Amino acid sequence: MPAPKLPSTPTLRVWDLPTRLYHWIQVVLVALALGLGFFAPEWLLNQHVVIGFALVGLILFRLVWGFFGSYYSRFSSFVPTPGRLRAHFSGILNKQSAPAGGHELGHNPVGALMVFGLIFVLGAITITGIVTLGGVENWGPLAGFVDFSTGDRARAVHLALAYVLVVMIVAHIAGVFAESQRSRTSLVRAMVTGDKELPKGRTFGQPDGAKKGAALVSLAGLGGLAGVLFYLGVQVPASGFIQMAEMDDFKSECSDCHELYHPSLLPEESWTLMMAGLEDHFGEDASLSQDTTLAIGTYLERYASEAWDSEAANRLRVVDPEKPMQISASPFWKENHAQIPEEVFKTRPVRGTGNCKACHGDAESGRFDDSKISIPEPTPERES
Amino acid sequence: MKRLLLVGAALALVATTNVQAGPREDIVALLMAEASAEDAAFAGFSGERGQILFSSNFNTGKPETPSCTSCHSTSPQNMGETRAGKPIEPIAVSKTPERFTDPEKVEKWFRRNCRSVIGRECTALEKGDFITYMMSQ
Repeated sequence: MPAPKLPSTPTLRVWDLPTRLYHWIQVVLVALALGLGFFAPEWLLNQHVVIGFALVGLILFRLVWGFFGSYYSRFSSFVPTPGRLRAHFSGILNKQSAPAGGHELGHNPVGALMVFGLIFVLGAITITGIVTLGGVENWGPLAGFVDFSTGDRARAVHLALAYVLVVMIVAHIAGVFAESQRSRTSLVRAMVTGDKELPKGRTFGQPDGAKKGAALVSLAGLGGLAGVLFYLGVQVPASGFIQMAEMDDFKSECSDCHELYHPSLLPEESWTLMMAGLEDHFGEDASLSQDTTLAIGTYLERYASEAWDSEAANRLRVVDPEKPMQISASPFWKENHAQIPEEVFKTRPVRGTGNCKACHGDAESGRFDDSKISIPEPTPERES
Repeated sequence: MKRLLLVGAALALVATTNVQAGPREDIVALLMAEASAEDAAFAGFSGERGQILFSSNFNTGKPETPSCTSCHSTSPQNMGETRAGKPIEPIAVSKTPERFTDPEKVEKWFRRNCRSVIGRECTALEKGDFITYMMSQ
């Protein structure tokens, strides 16, 4: 027996499925990206970056859908003109319930401002993120094009925009609840089901649907273009690194007692000082023959931090004036390792701040990628 | 008499095959010449003196390394470890047969480590004693 048909308020499909999926996927991705960016340890940078690239794709979709989506998804249907904004605010001030004008079924003018603002800010965050990735981390499609200082400035903007985004999200949620109250409809539910109840006594024609073919073609074109640019970009060698000649004496002599430190980790002056004082090398005599000392010294000075534009070279160029030869005494090193429990450095397997390789899998290359960091569990010191 | 001569020749043969010629023996021979030049009363190297050298606490060199055992562990048979945490192969010749076969390395490490541990370079006598001890290990 069929269920009796209940009289129902007429509803209208306002948010098409792609728009709803876009919205909720973006909620999840933005939450993850913010969470990882603000709270996760550095070695989860790759995850943050992957989410960032997914957001680029999502934004591209939204831009396309803004032209070819169904009526309420199209930008042209919710341009927040001054006139519409004025009407909207006077409506609020006169304590009217939300007017049932055509565009109000979709985004109201303030909501529309937020939509455009969010797309803009999110776009700017992904762009500054990719610039940071290229300039500071020497990864991604811009690694060959952006120098460190540009990347570092982009990082500051990236971070500032992330704070702006958090404020916008709070305002967006507050606005949704306020408007839900005022219009006595749940805007959240509408973004889930896609449907909004029609105000009594008013009829609406079914809004025209999406131009799916045009959307698909545009998205494929834009996506393809982005993909090609990405592919071409990552082919270019990272600008922070130079070709370094091999030197057997450097490799063997400088790794007799400790791991081989990359020449880019100290400035020229520090290496000069170090090679002049090998008789007292961090508390031990590490003297070499005059010829070897001279040859290794020349090599180190040639490939000192000044010759590189990598993150490590740029950061470690500033040394502690009291201990100019000790990498782990530099302000950057100290600041970046302050969170690591002292126990890690005091016990095996790390056993000391000079054992970079214990946590940085790529230490000998001088890269020091965030994603290559893995801090081993400290073990109780055993007597040997 | 003839028999005695034969035994003597055999003993001499055994002795020469026991003292194999090789880079390590060359190094020791050079040290012997040096030691005799340094001290007319030199009467050969002693593994026992070498052992004392190895395990003594000098406290006259750099404070970080008061003794050979600071890095080479208390037994020549065992792995050692540098202050920076790098493993050191056992110093005993039986465990690491390449020990004391490269004159440059021998010179380099005696120079560095004697200065670090004792605070001065080692004498030829000390070096010879040390190698003799390690050859017996």
